[in-house]
Amino acid sequence: MKNTLNFLIKVNKLKEVPKTGWVLMKVKNPETIADHVFRVAIASWLLGEKKKLNIEKAIKIALSHDLCEVYAGDSTPFFYWEGLDRDKKKDEEILLKGTRLSKEEKEKRGKTKLTKEKKALSKLIKSLKPELKREILSAWFHYEKRMSKEGRFVKQIDRIETLLQSIEYFGTQKNRGGTSWWEGTEEIVEDPLLLDFLKVIQKKFYGKVPGGYKKQKELENILDFLSEIGKLKRTSRLYWTIRGVKSPETVAGHIFTLSLMAWIFGRDKKLKLNMEKLLKMALCHELTAVHTGDTTPYDEILPRSSKKREEILKRWPRLLKAKKTRIFLKNYKEEKKALQKLTLKLKPSLKKEIIQLWEEYRTRSSPESHFLSQLNTFAVLFQALLYREKDKRFSTVPLWEWVFEISDNLTSFELIEAMKKRFG
Amino acid sequence: MAKKFYLTKKGLEKINKEFQDLKKIILAKTKGESPQILHSEDLNPEYISFREDLSFLETRIAELEYILKNIELIKLPPKKKRGIVYLGATVTLQESEGQINEFTIVGTLEANPSEGKISSDSPIGKMLLEHKVNDEVIITSPIKVVYKIKKIKYGLL
Repeated sequence: MKNTLNFLIKVNKLKEVPKTGWVLMKVKNPETIADHVFRVAIASWLLGEKKKLNIEKAIKIALSHDLCEVYAGDSTPFFYWEGLDRDKKKDEEILLKGTRLSKEEKEKRGKTKLTKEKKALSKLIKSLKPELKREILSAWFHYEKRMSKEGRFVKQIDRIETLLQSIEYFGTQKNRGGTSWWEGTEEIVEDPLLLDFLKVIQKKFYGKVPGGYKKQKELENILDFLSEIGKLKRTSRLYWTIRGVKSPETVAGHIFTLSLMAWIFGRDKKLKLNMEKLLKMALCHELTAVHTGDTTPYDEILPRSSKKREEILKRWPRLLKAKKTRIFLKNYKEEKKALQKLTLKLKPSLKKEIIQLWEEYRTRSSPESHFLSQLNTFAVLFQALLYREKDKRFSTVPLWEWVFEISDNLTSFELIEAMKKRFG
Repeated sequence: MAKKFYLTKKGLEKINKEFQDLKKIILAKTKGESPQILHSEDLNPEYISFREDLSFLETRIAELEYILKNIELIKLPPKKKRGIVYLGATVTLQESEGQINEFTIVGTLEANPSEGKISSDSPIGKMLLEHKVNDEVIITSPIKVVYKIKKIKYGLL
């Protein structure tokens, strides 16, 4: 448990490290690696289902594909920033254009990148249990070496997600960044479904598609859904903002952590959990925030007076049972409405699945949701403990109270002990 | 009709080797032995997931079997056609400002754009196929990129 916790602490950096490409393009408050992974995982699920892929495997590949960046950093293709000469105009030209290299140079840089990342990943997972270590390494190999249908698919999704993000940041003007990501994408994407998806992106953002466009309603709706959930990369977690944390994790970042924890802790065979369901549930559990914004248990009870606020924030909310029920029902209704709105245009089976997963999570009505909701409290406490390491004034008391209220299984008790030991 | 998998000779050797290795592993596993290959220091790290996951091993073997049944070897085109881009060609492109870019066109299983190998099914791969030296090619993503084909060679085959 100690080693797993240390692993998660290191991985948590991915919620702070911005994607290199956006930094180079001078995007203000760009997404982090964890934010990106979140949407890659969801896109792999939604589009992977249409290809009848093994979704559990695809999500695990998505979750692990950038773990190496904890040590290796985020590399843009072929390290092309190495060619930058800090001359603003020339650099912009290089960045807007993408990579122009000989085959030999690409091969050399590609191999260097692979070796560096493999070494970084091995270092990161070194102390994990052998089976988990093998599973993570294997998922990464599937992605990097395109060893399976799922690995090849997620590799292409990764690129498409970045393209989508570039359009969201820069729009579609030729002299801005948005379009330069197309070239790299068109080198990688080859799956017929994903090629159609690229046309859908062109149609939505550019209006025209060279060679004509055949309407793809289902893919158009998936694209709208992915664009909507992109908001979660910019939505800060309210629990931290009301406590004055600077640059707090986003909802997307939190979903990344919880999904990874679900994979790591949910794989215990004694728990007998359905891993695919657990991972999907973790990915869905806070999608409602797209329309409701992030919420906290304090929302109904925080007064305007700052002194009183501080007092209340020192502890986990104290409420009468009837009030708790009333708040729960109010939030439940609002969130369900938000999720129905978000999934409205998805195909009925997918819409039903997402809403059902979320409902189970909110009502803790299945073994997976019972486990996940406890794990969620640990994900929040874990983040709080890390904030406390940076600023000793930050109180973790309310979250310890929450964890003690909610925990009832062996994994949770082990986690409590491990966290106490690690963070004191 | 089954999808054809285009492979270079080297690519085919690699697939064959993986298939043979995995067959050895599954044979030993079904006999209840602990396959030496899985515990050897020389284990190809890419096979790491097969240690415990028998179902994945079976899926991968089935996938490789399917691939091997539907393989089309990429052949060197006849001499008079080597000035045209077919599978296996390494294409050197030049932009009007003089910048050089290079790609090798391969089948889906060998594609690895991080090493300059792109699939013939990718938009750029499709665009380049069947063009010849001095042809102008336009990559028609929203931003149009115009290249001139400077050189075509068949070093991989």
